[in-house]
Amino acid sequence: MADRRRINGPPGGTRPPVFASLQESSTGVATRVQRQRQPTELRKIFLKTGLIPTASGSSYLEFEPSASLAAARSNPKSLIPPSSALKLACTVHGPKPLPRSAAFSPNLVLTTHVKYAPFAARKRKGHIRDASERDLGVHLETALRGAIIAERWPKSGLDITLTIIEAEDDRWWGDAPDSHDASWGMMNVLAGCITAASAAIADAHIDCLDLVSGGVAALVSDDSNQSATSAPRLMLDIDPAEHRSILSACVVAYMPARDEITELWLKGDSSRAALGKDDGRTGHEALIDGAVDAARGANTVLAEAVRESIARSFA
Amino acid sequence: MASSTAPRNPTTPSLSLPPSQFARLQPHAYLLAHLSPPPASNQPSIRANGRATSQFRVTSANAGSLTHTNGSAVVRIGDTAAVCGVRAEILHTNDIASWSVLQASSEQNFDKSNEVGESKSQDEEDRGHIQDLNLLVPNLSLSTGCAPGFTPGAPPSALAQSLSHQLLSLLHTTRLVRADDLRIWYQPPNLDSEEFRSAGEGMDVDTEQSGPEREVKAFWVLYIDVMIISLAGNPFDAAWASVLAALRDTKLPKAWWDADNETILCSDDVADARKFSFCSFEGDAAAGWRAVVIPDAEEQKQKKGAQQRWILADPDGYEEGLSQERASVVVDKENGKTVIVKIEKHGGWAVDSDDLRQLVDVSAQRWDEMKRILDQC
Repeated sequence: MADRRRINGPPGGTRPPVFASLQESSTGVATRVQRQRQPTELRKIFLKTGLIPTASGSSYLEFEPSASLAAARSNPKSLIPPSSALKLACTVHGPKPLPRSAAFSPNLVLTTHVKYAPFAARKRKGHIRDASERDLGVHLETALRGAIIAERWPKSGLDITLTIIEAEDDRWWGDAPDSHDASWGMMNVLAGCITAASAAIADAHIDCLDLVSGGVAALVSDDSNQSATSAPRLMLDIDPAEHRSILSACVVAYMPARDEITELWLKGDSSRAALGKDDGRTGHEALIDGAVDAARGANTVLAEAVRESIARSFA
Repeated sequence: MASSTAPRNPTTPSLSLPPSQFARLQPHAYLLAHLSPPPASNQPSIRANGRATSQFRVTSANAGSLTHTNGSAVVRIGDTAAVCGVRAEILHTNDIASWSVLQASSEQNFDKSNEVGESKSQDEEDRGHIQDLNLLVPNLSLSTGCAPGFTPGAPPSALAQSLSHQLLSLLHTTRLVRADDLRIWYQPPNLDSEEFRSAGEGMDVDTEQSGPEREVKAFWVLYIDVMIISLAGNPFDAAWASVLAALRDTKLPKAWWDADNETILCSDDVADARKFSFCSFEGDAAAGWRAVVIPDAEEQKQKKGAQQRWILADPDGYEEGLSQERASVVVDKENGKTVIVKIEKHGGWAVDSDDLRQLVDVSAQRWDEMKRILDQC
């Protein structure tokens, strides 16, 4: 049944446009995008707090567009974007009293809500939250709950809302969905959500143990030939559109001052990592270490944004 | 403010409040004190946020920054921010249940139009197609944490629903997008003439018969989604400005009917894509603005006998909460003449013609300003 509280499109449904160049042979204009960064080089992050004055805390986060996307923007040739860069806004409302009907809680009740804008992804998203968005919300809540000192606000609630204005792709757009394919883009989105939410919480002056930031690392194999000799390599802060196949990826929410991980999400097969000869670590240990390194990098940006926010509130 | 709350008894500690607290405790009196300065001071009335009564907030617009849209825009009016993304999808005529009926009626119209003014009935048909087939689908979302009152995840609030419908009706009445830009045509090949040609040139067929007529195979449907990222009063202006800027930025790919695959194919070449040819409006921008009228307090009415009121342009959230009367005017300019597209007024008392003229004059000024901003982005 149609949602009568929104304006619905044609009842027969519509189809996304199909581009003719995809139906022709692979000799079309489409060239695969390549990673231009070093394996340990992170993308630049733009993070700003306090853009939404009606909220008690807010932040806006944007990842630097990849080289191919920047080139496509400055000199557009094709209507199909080569990749996309994360853009999201985060608001924090509270701490506020819980509604009368709610049960007593000695701690701060944290509610996280992640929603993609309908135009955020390559495929149009619905207006009602789908399973992946709920999943992101739960992961984010776990990541933040470990950082917030919840005992200081009994009987109160904190609402954290994230709006994803532009999400990352799960794979390169020209690739067909693969068997060992997962929603890799979601992991980048989660890392961005954690960093942005942490900045917004600090902007709202909520007591935390430390600033928690998110980082992603992945094992990727980029070789076009399917030979078994090419072992997957460890890369930090991946853009899934830039890699041929991602074997496994890991997101952490990390607090550098206490050297603690509040959230860990690991996907895929990490057993075949190519590490140095004298490296005794297993694949997933290396993956987690990589993600922590990425989170440390994001933390420097986060600390600077929070410093700005504090300077503004005491100015 | 401090002087009005100063203690009469010098022995008690001073009770002076900072203005921000006074604004919270006595919002109405605070705003009123700003709007009606003492007559002796001879100052013009100024609003609590420092603006003059018909002054708008600083407006900025930025278009085309989102990757996965056909057109997008971000508009900020003061602290209110709206992001609009336009996505185009294809509606095949096979998927329209009543397509054959619609087509028959439009053909009838076309026959009539040969007798009566052709352009007018063409216009009507355009409008009918866009409305009947729901080719424009604007939706506005407030559940982005933009203001404390809107819980995320809940169904759209009454305000969000009404704003979505206002956008839809304004898109229809302004006829900003023409149905012709949204049609995807197909010209069937003229098989008959080819047969004739192969049969021999001696037959010398008259070319009066142009073969099968070209037909509409599909329509573009524009999903226009507006996310209000930050709400500090006057959401409609920000939303409408973002829709305008996004539509001006929208590029539709070239599309054609592929008879072999029986689908519509598109070209991804930017050179083939086209923008809308905005019709009927010279500046293709209609500026909307909104005013609130703050009625005087009840006590003062009794004192003076006559009600005093102020018209405040582009209210912020604080002023919107205190107003009892709201008016919204959308105007457009055609060859230098101001055309009123929409007037809406809620609550309050009657507006006489002087007030109305003032509203329209301010809207006309706002139109020039908005056009300049949208042209820059």
